[in-house]
Amino acid sequence: MSIASIADVEFGAQLPEFEPDTSLENVRSFVVAAGWDGPRFTDHEAARKEGLPGALVPGILSQGYLAAMIHRWAPDAFIENVDTIFRAPVLVDEPYRISGVVTDVDEDDGRVEIDLTLTNEQGETRVFGTAMVKLPIE
Amino acid sequence: MSDLLDIEAVREQFLNQVFDEQTFELDTAQIVDYARACGEQAPRYVDPGHPDFQAPPTFPSSFRPTRRLPEGFPKLPGLGMDAGKAVAPMAPVRPGVKLTARTHLHEVYAKTGRSGRMTFMVTRMEIFDPDGVQLAAADTRIVIREKPSS
Repeated sequence: MSIASIADVEFGAQLPEFEPDTSLENVRSFVVAAGWDGPRFTDHEAARKEGLPGALVPGILSQGYLAAMIHRWAPDAFIENVDTIFRAPVLVDEPYRISGVVTDVDEDDGRVEIDLTLTNEQGETRVFGTAMVKLPIE
Repeated sequence: MSDLLDIEAVREQFLNQVFDEQTFELDTAQIVDYARACGEQAPRYVDPGHPDFQAPPTFPSSFRPTRRLPEGFPKLPGLGMDAGKAVAPMAPVRPGVKLTARTHLHEVYAKTGRSGRMTFMVTRMEIFDPDGVQLAAADTRIVIREKPSS
């Protein structure tokens, strides 16, 4: 269900899960657009030579996934703040899921707080975020 | 003798002083590629023909200052790691607009545990349009794990 206004949101509601595109091709496109192009993000072998387990998804892309997930849920949402904690590396070409839950709703001013968690296949949290979002009141 | 960063001294000397200023300008293709890679579908981020076309709200997190910490900042007793980022969009960032980004050290604090101390340094980049209107603030948290010398 797409959220159009604050009236559609319930405390504790789960956002639809989102599986971000961590493919090498997508990460390459992102780092070029962001001006972050570098082998640790685009080349598994080069990343391993740096002592990393493989090419990394940049933290700013993980943050971008979280924001996109919010907009997929509520296309007219205005994100006032998104705070992202990088707990462990997110690897290129590995599958991840993002879940989200509404932790606070202020119907008077249209604000919603959302906790967002990016996990790997083992269910380990790699990135955690909190967002404050403003929705149309009606 | 301790190698720990003197947090009070650092706060007094460096907090809230702009140590980097840069300009940026985004183009349309860059915004669309960034948005699509993130998984954005909202037309205002992926359709340049949309009347409210703009960069995704997290785009300012990608702007980097020329240096991570102020000139003269004490040598860190270890490798600083990127612990997180926060962004607070205030107004749309549009293509073709010259942006000025100023960065200052916003906060320094420590968390102490049995195995040592973790010190966090938060740098804040504030982004302005040519009229001086602030469009966003983007924070970067650098963490360093310190161990007192024995």
